Amino acid sequence: MSTKVRRVYGYLAEFENASQLYKAAEKVRDAGFKKWDCYTPYPVHGLDDAMGVKRSILPYFVFFGGLTGFITAIALAYTTQVGLYPTVVQGKPANIFTTAAFFPVMFELTILFSGFTVLFGLLALIGLPRWNHPIFASKQFKRVTDDKFFIAIEARDAKFSAENTKSLLAEIGGDNIELVEDDSE
Amino acid sequence: MAHQVTSKDIPINGEHLEEGKIATLKMICGGVGGIGLLASIIYLVTGSGEAHGSYAFSWLFAVFFVTTIVLGGCFWTFLHNLSNSGWGTSVRRLMENLGFVFPFMVVLFIPFLFPGVQQYLYEWMTAYRDVVGDSANAKEALLHDSDPHNHLLAVKTFYLNPGFWYARIAFYFIGLGFFIFLVRKFSIAQDTDDKPGTKNLFAARKHSSWSMIIFGVTLTFLALDFVMALDYSWFSTMFGVYVFAGSALNSMAVLILTGIFLQRMGYLKNVVTQEHYHIMGKLCFAFTVFWAYVSFSQFFLIWYANITEETRYFLLRNTENWNLLSLALVFMHFGLPFLALLRSDVKKSSKFMTIFCFYILFMHVLDVYHMIIPERGPSVGLIIDHHPQLWISGSWLGDILALVIAVCAFLFVYLRNLTSAALYPHRDPRILESANLHN
Repeated sequence: MSTKVRRVYGYLAEFENASQLYKAAEKVRDAGFKKWDCYTPYPVHGLDDAMGVKRSILPYFVFFGGLTGFITAIALAYTTQVGLYPTVVQGKPANIFTTAAFFPVMFELTILFSGFTVLFGLLALIGLPRWNHPIFASKQFKRVTDDKFFIAIEARDAKFSAENTKSLLAEIGGDNIELVEDDSE
Repeated sequence: MAHQVTSKDIPINGEHLEEGKIATLKMICGGVGGIGLLASIIYLVTGSGEAHGSYAFSWLFAVFFVTTIVLGGCFWTFLHNLSNSGWGTSVRRLMENLGFVFPFMVVLFIPFLFPGVQQYLYEWMTAYRDVVGDSANAKEALLHDSDPHNHLLAVKTFYLNPGFWYARIAFYFIGLGFFIFLVRKFSIAQDTDDKPGTKNLFAARKHSSWSMIIFGVTLTFLALDFVMALDYSWFSTMFGVYVFAGSALNSMAVLILTGIFLQRMGYLKNVVTQEHYHIMGKLCFAFTVFWAYVSFSQFFLIWYANITEETRYFLLRNTENWNLLSLALVFMHFGLPFLALLRSDVKKSSKFMTIFCFYILFMHVLDVYHMIIPERGPSVGLIIDHHPQLWISGSWLGDILALVIAVCAFLFVYLRNLTSAALYPHRDPRILESANLHN
């Protein structure tokens, strides 16, 4: 007999199809939950609106990432090619008018730094990489890659309560409501 | 989210722009455009002297500005059909109407058919006519001419000869004019079709394929023949793409403005939403970057290679005050719009986009000015036997006058097209998909 103390992850509820899930998501949103998610076998258009997901702050990171790349490129090209060691090619001047020659570098580094910020910023915001997710403890959850739609409300949400959340999920049409426990430790 | 648009929201006979609502504007445009056009043609064909030469350049500048916008309309129409798009069905008729101005543009091109106008604009024609005359072998005649400059023209006679030039102009207007007419006809036929299936839609898609090729050839070589040929010794393989980038960007700006104004007048309410403006704004953003990319590629290779006959274009455009215009284009045609269009909420704001579209159109005026007008001083000076100069004083008055006339003539035909059919294809199978667009 196991005596391990398990942490409750939250409630998982199954839905039959995308339209049920969509309507249910709107109700969970209106109930004021923040830490919850929908799981679907395929992308459902407009679900982010139904869930009340706010716009990501990632674009701002990317803007400043790109700006950093741009400034890095100017500094790198200008200090090396004009300041430290001017390379005179085709009689081109080694001064501010050489900037045209640096445009490809500026362009590339802007793109590169933006790209890195997108990738690493995204990973940081969504909390990846991680080894496991508590929700995988649920047996029925496997069907999310096949034909079932799920809503999971996490226990760490301020509005979570053992009874009320369960009855809310039942009310909005969820089947097989399951209390998922984190068994990862 | 607004309510789902269903077929109940789409009027059975479609929305039609009432003649009465735009009658005043159309009359003013028609009057200014018509009288100005007639006066310009008479002056250009019969006039002489420095002001005449100067006005020939003004006229080319104004006509080419309008032509790029109209060609962009053809491009978006063909692209929309060809890519089987659903998002823009509710604004597709606007694209068709804009593109269908092209066949009417032939009237604006009439002055260029006369040697009296050509002599200022295209030095190669003058040289060709003077040297070749009646001789059978043009290349030999130019090659053995006493003026060594003509050797460069001799090797280009396969392309640069007046006969072929006239044939090309005819090809542009007949070819593309016919195809944009055809594609628009399919679209309009669907409005009144008893069985509005997919027949017309698929026909439009099928014929857009040839049309796209014709469009590409027309835009590229029209730009080459009318603008690049201002200095026949100069060549750039990027030039057609450069003109195309500005053309696609600015016709999208015109489409956004048309959409906004029509909605303000109470049309397109059910089918065009913020989402459409968002997509069109994104296309503007994309072509702002593309314009910068292409114009820089053109400059960069020429600047690096530093070959005499290639650098002339940029040398002239960076001499004295023209340098300010070249620099202004970098920051104001690319830098500012790039930063302004980054955010998605500004692309959805009709107030911001109205300002932006007028701004970008003004930038396009400067861009076309930068392509054409720097050639004026040296060319006209050379023809009218005095010292070639950089700038002819007072010539800007002619530029503004020609621009006003050409834009009025364009608006008159565009408004005529807008009233001649329903404002959006109300029986298109994808109209509801487009109306409920979400991106």
